[in-house]
Amino acid sequence: MRLQLLATAVGFAAALALGGGAAHAQQPPASDATAQVERQQAQPGNNAPLWRDVRSGQPGYTTVRGVETGVLVESRGQTYREARVPVAFWGGILVAVALAGLALFYLVRGPMDVKEAGGGRMIRRFSNADRYAHWLMAITWVVLAVTGLIMSFGKDVLLPVIGYTLFAWLAVLSKNLHNFAGPILIVAVPWMFIQYIRDNGIGAEDFKWFANIFGYFRGHEYPSHRFNAGEKLVFWLILVILTTILVVTGLILNFPNLGQTRATMQNANLIHMIASYVAIALAAVHIYLGTIGVTGAYRAMRDGHVTETWAEHHHRRWYEDVRAGKARQKFAEPGEAAGGAGSAAARTQTS
Amino acid sequence: MARMKFLCDAERCIECNGCVTACKNENEVPWGVNRRRVVTLNDGVPGERSISVACMHCSDAPCMAVCPVDCFYKTEDGVVLHDKDLCIGCGYCFYACPFGAPQFPQAGAFGLRGKMDKCTFCAGGPEKDSTAEEFKKYGSNRLAMGKLPACAEMCSTKALLGGDGDVIADIYRARVFKRGKGSEVWGWGTAYGKPPQGQPAQGGKT
Repeated sequence: MRLQLLATAVGFAAALALGGGAAHAQQPPASDATAQVERQQAQPGNNAPLWRDVRSGQPGYTTVRGVETGVLVESRGQTYREARVPVAFWGGILVAVALAGLALFYLVRGPMDVKEAGGGRMIRRFSNADRYAHWLMAITWVVLAVTGLIMSFGKDVLLPVIGYTLFAWLAVLSKNLHNFAGPILIVAVPWMFIQYIRDNGIGAEDFKWFANIFGYFRGHEYPSHRFNAGEKLVFWLILVILTTILVVTGLILNFPNLGQTRATMQNANLIHMIASYVAIALAAVHIYLGTIGVTGAYRAMRDGHVTETWAEHHHRRWYEDVRAGKARQKFAEPGEAAGGAGSAAARTQTS
Repeated sequence: MARMKFLCDAERCIECNGCVTACKNENEVPWGVNRRRVVTLNDGVPGERSISVACMHCSDAPCMAVCPVDCFYKTEDGVVLHDKDLCIGCGYCFYACPFGAPQFPQAGAFGLRGKMDKCTFCAGGPEKDSTAEEFKKYGSNRLAMGKLPACAEMCSTKALLGGDGDVIADIYRARVFKRGKGSEVWGWGTAYGKPPQGQPAQGGKT
């Protein structure tokens, strides 16, 4: 009850602050009226200046309260509609190609395994805070991506298969999940940033890592620190750039009571679509490599530990620092990873 | 079959808001929803013109094109209707509509959108004609009763015409010939497209 009251109070305050601006915008400027008066005297019955104002979206007076209620024609809606079609088409192609490419890669290459499996000692790769931040982000992000894709392409992909009734139920569930999961990112994005920024600095080594990208997929990795250049790309591009864009545009769309105009929401929606398709395609690669693509990677995020062999193979520079005691991450104490260590090692061997 | 259209004569509209009131009364629309509104340009100065605007039931409706759940449909009279059982309240139709027709009753805090509501040309919805369920969701179904939209029927100066596009265009053309001015068929170019090349234009279209 208290939360509801607070929510109403916040919404009301925002509406008050922005409502003043909207009311002011509804006063027609005098100059256009003057043009119409002059034209009426020169050519009675010629309303051309008036209709030009209408076409330009010039607001008039109306008794109906609300944002842009005085606007007769909002022509930018047509641009929005025209832009949506190619954006959704190519975005869909991008996501489909990414998923199909990963499936094909898995079939051809299989999981990237460490040759000399078995292990040695365990290293604590991620702290609890690291993992909680990442899981909050991961779960929220996947929910948003899946519900977003349902709303984006469900009409073309799911609707013909499952029918109107079931799809409408799924779509309304998706919309509500999307709307309520989205604001969680206001917390998750800064938390992820603070937790992971320290080891995500970009250097010349990262470009060499990318130059050796084909070697990476063949199992000959360019030595990297705690995060390789691919992970840094995920950090900077998906988290810092794309997800931040998605949060900002998403909030504009999520709270239509803040007095934003239709043009703002049209642009926000288009940017939201473009950023999400690119982010989903990239995140698909990240999720693939973090789960079935690289043996032992999922364990690192689940328990926080990796084997010594895994660290040496995938992050050699970091492993050397850990051994030399220069890294913040340490070898696990005996018994610390007891639950995870044995099974993690076993998993590395079997899968 | 008739092709239903709205036409607002800017030379006649006196901004009485009778159409707005008629609509609200006829359809018992939820609080905060305005299916029709009257906009006055150059308010209070010479050359002032008023126009009543609602859903124009476009030929190539943008709302229909952008809807992610495909809840819109067109009746054989050319009326654009939607199914509230399918609508998820995403607001895309509102972004795309040039006339600001789609309305959203607030369904919760923070402006959470409920199911979209808009002018139905007094033609109800997908439910069985003139049933209580249809009235509750979409309002009156006057077309099923053989009547025209309440707003146009109520208009005191007959500025707002609603009905078969050919019939109301003829009425309007006769008016323009008689008074010799004010030939703009407001919103028709946007809603129904430009007339094919080589045909006589029915006045300037804005």
